[in-house]
Amino acid sequence: MIPMKSLSTLLFATLVCAPLSAFQASPPKAGEPGGPGLAIKSAKILTCTLEGRGVVDRGVLLVHDGKIAAIGEARSTTIPEGYELVDVGNQWLMPGLIDLHCHAGAIESLLVNDLNDGVFLANPGLRAFVAAKPGNKRLELGLQAGVTSVLVIPGSGTNVGGWGVLLKTGHDRFEEMLIRNPGSLKVAQWGNPESWGPGVGKSMENWTIGDTFERGLGYAQRWAEFERNGGEEPLVDPQWEIFRHLLAKNTQASVHTQMYQVVLQTIMQLKGEFGIDVYIDHGSIGAWRAGDIAEEMGVPAIIGPRTTDTIARGFINWGQLSAEDVGFRGLAAGYQQRGLKLIGFNTDSPVISQAELQLQAGIAVRYGFDDSEMAAVKGLTIVPATAAGIADRIGSLEVGKDADILVISGHPADPRSAVERVWLDGEDVYNSAREHRRW
Amino acid sequence: MIRPVSLGLCLALLVACQSTGDSERDNLRQDAAIAALESGERGVAMYCARILTVDDEDRVISPGLIVTRGGKIEYVGPPVDVPEGYERRDYGDLWAVPGMIDLHTHVHTGGWGDINSSHNHVNPELSASVAMVPANPLLQRAASSGVTTLFGIPGSGTSMGGFGLLYKARTSGGYEDSVIADPAGLKVAQTHNPDRNANALVRSWAGLGWMLEQINDKAIAATERDIFDPQLVDLQRVLTGELPVLIHCAGSEGVANTVRMWRINYPTRSILSHGSFDGWQVADFVAEHGMPVNHGPRIMDYYSSRTGRVEPTALVYWEASGPNFSLNTDSQIIAQDEFFLQGSMAARQGADSYQMLRAVTIHPARAFGFGDRLGSLEVGKDADIVIWTGDPLDPRSHVEFVLIDGEEQYDKQEDGQWS
Repeated sequence: MIPMKSLSTLLFATLVCAPLSAFQASPPKAGEPGGPGLAIKSAKILTCTLEGRGVVDRGVLLVHDGKIAAIGEARSTTIPEGYELVDVGNQWLMPGLIDLHCHAGAIESLLVNDLNDGVFLANPGLRAFVAAKPGNKRLELGLQAGVTSVLVIPGSGTNVGGWGVLLKTGHDRFEEMLIRNPGSLKVAQWGNPESWGPGVGKSMENWTIGDTFERGLGYAQRWAEFERNGGEEPLVDPQWEIFRHLLAKNTQASVHTQMYQVVLQTIMQLKGEFGIDVYIDHGSIGAWRAGDIAEEMGVPAIIGPRTTDTIARGFINWGQLSAEDVGFRGLAAGYQQRGLKLIGFNTDSPVISQAELQLQAGIAVRYGFDDSEMAAVKGLTIVPATAAGIADRIGSLEVGKDADILVISGHPADPRSAVERVWLDGEDVYNSAREHRRW
Repeated sequence: MIRPVSLGLCLALLVACQSTGDSERDNLRQDAAIAALESGERGVAMYCARILTVDDEDRVISPGLIVTRGGKIEYVGPPVDVPEGYERRDYGDLWAVPGMIDLHTHVHTGGWGDINSSHNHVNPELSASVAMVPANPLLQRAASSGVTTLFGIPGSGTSMGGFGLLYKARTSGGYEDSVIADPAGLKVAQTHNPDRNANALVRSWAGLGWMLEQINDKAIAATERDIFDPQLVDLQRVLTGELPVLIHCAGSEGVANTVRMWRINYPTRSILSHGSFDGWQVADFVAEHGMPVNHGPRIMDYYSSRTGRVEPTALVYWEASGPNFSLNTDSQIIAQDEFFLQGSMAARQGADSYQMLRAVTIHPARAFGFGDRLGSLEVGKDADIVIWTGDPLDPRSHVEFVLIDGEEQYDKQEDGQWS
């Protein structure tokens, strides 16, 4: 028995002290919002700007309030008073990696698959964010391999899968993780939705996508008209809401698409006819032949999980390669050689582990992707940020951007290079010296 | 064939080279004049920017010359005069690396199954070689990725799968051209698979162990009493130490039982394969008994770690076993052409990258008893030479050219990039 008096004392202590102890939580650390500044010195900084090679040798990076405050050569950059200095020696700095094709955020284990409701062939109203939760083990694995931002999207079992959500991987609460919702509208042009039911083929799928976009954009235009000129307020229909974001170019269509003729539809129909921002996801099976048209129309390609086209095996010509072609064809190299500039990489995690995004770039180089201007590094960072319309916030180490910073032991396209530290919005979220590596 | 006399001479010369100064060494190498070819003989002189010999001194020669003659390596060192008649190949900035050796593979059939007859639970009478398809497309992929020697073995669906064959990944020719040894060694599956299709007896580790001990004891008795039993003749060669045995096992109890059975109770030239799940917890015990570890295809443990995090198992075994540590693919569990990547990913976990190159070349060669013939670029060894664009464990590098036994197998310029 606890005597009444001491119970009331206990209650009092709990009521009064709980808020007090919360108030007394440790003050923000260097680099974090509200904390003192952080200066990181390194032998090599990969800034990953869209133009130029983006390399600063013997550099220093200043972080303040969770943002990048300055970047430059160590000898010519003054570290302000009160900044905490971290010298990472011969290790490199680079922005956090971005994976625009991630299902792992919604499938923590194979027993829980929350990403593909396939009741209808087109489901523009479904939202992936309801299945995303902080502390997801697969995302933690990715974070420690440098993946700081992901686009969690519905699967490709239907032509229009629904809303994707752009998240940061290492925060404790959904609101802190959230970059943008809708992160994208997931479209699957061909090469999976036909499993939805009998009779579904390229023609039916093309009609379904076209019909959905016509209706959705019609809805969005009625709202745009109302917002411009007033009149009768249209009814809100959650099924079509995402098209208001697409019409306003606040989000993009991320399109599971492969094969030359299908990718051509992605480019010419979604970008050309409907005029919305689109990027190619996968882009395999000979689709690199459309690289020049993609460049002309401003459609980036985010390649993976498959990174090569193979020669014909039996009656299946997977690579759409001609009889004269020998060997395997690197997809990234194929797009690059046809002039496409915005080429990035994805894992389709967990198809490829979230922790192996780096390796996708490495294999691209193995099969002929020219990295002399750091294209492989940009394909992991600023290219996906640009494709997703968030390059003003993340994807490169530039003044004013989020301080999502990796310390890595060497070139990121070599998987032997290990991520040693991660800052996310200036917060120290991973340090291999402190925590056991998880991959 | 290596003539013992010439091998002895070469070794003596190598020893002499090590104990002399630079200029003397150069002189000695010049003295080791490369003999002119006899008529009908073929030899190749390969000039390249860098040679990773993977020999005991870990010599890196830059720039380098390798001369092959009659399928063997005749010279490895800095460029010297080469007589007329040798085919000259200048590889510019490229690197020469020994062909890789994978001791756990199932691609000899060309990928159409046929690796696991399971009429009995112990099948020491079976041979993988009857299912071999020489120069099949998977072997072309193997060669094009720098894998030149494979131990092709039965699967692990039964406790004793039968005998495998050691062969080269030639991209043309037949059985006689490729095979080094047949039967080359036995395949045993200690735990974690033979139990799956089992009857009541072998559903437990106890039953599996009993079946293996019973057949071993029968084979030992056959040797002692000079009884001829066609089912046991090759197994007898394993138990007398003539042939090696590769043992599929996993889990700490499975790994420990493998060591007890095949190193303590039945002293054999046994090699531990896989060692997955929490097998790493007894890595020191394996090393204490000198049992080579052939690790893979999984080189991390997600399941049984007490920390709830990924355990870097390749790192743990390598730290315990050092030169007794090698990697495998269990192809096509991991694609045969991604053998190099097993080394890269082990290095990603923290193992030394150069040591992981040893773990796919000289370490498996020695574990299998072929260290005097395969696994490094040294005079007198098989001319299994792979020309890379850079560090073979960097996935950004690729193979440009492959020689096996001094004969051209793959040329990226002509064949396209296969891996």
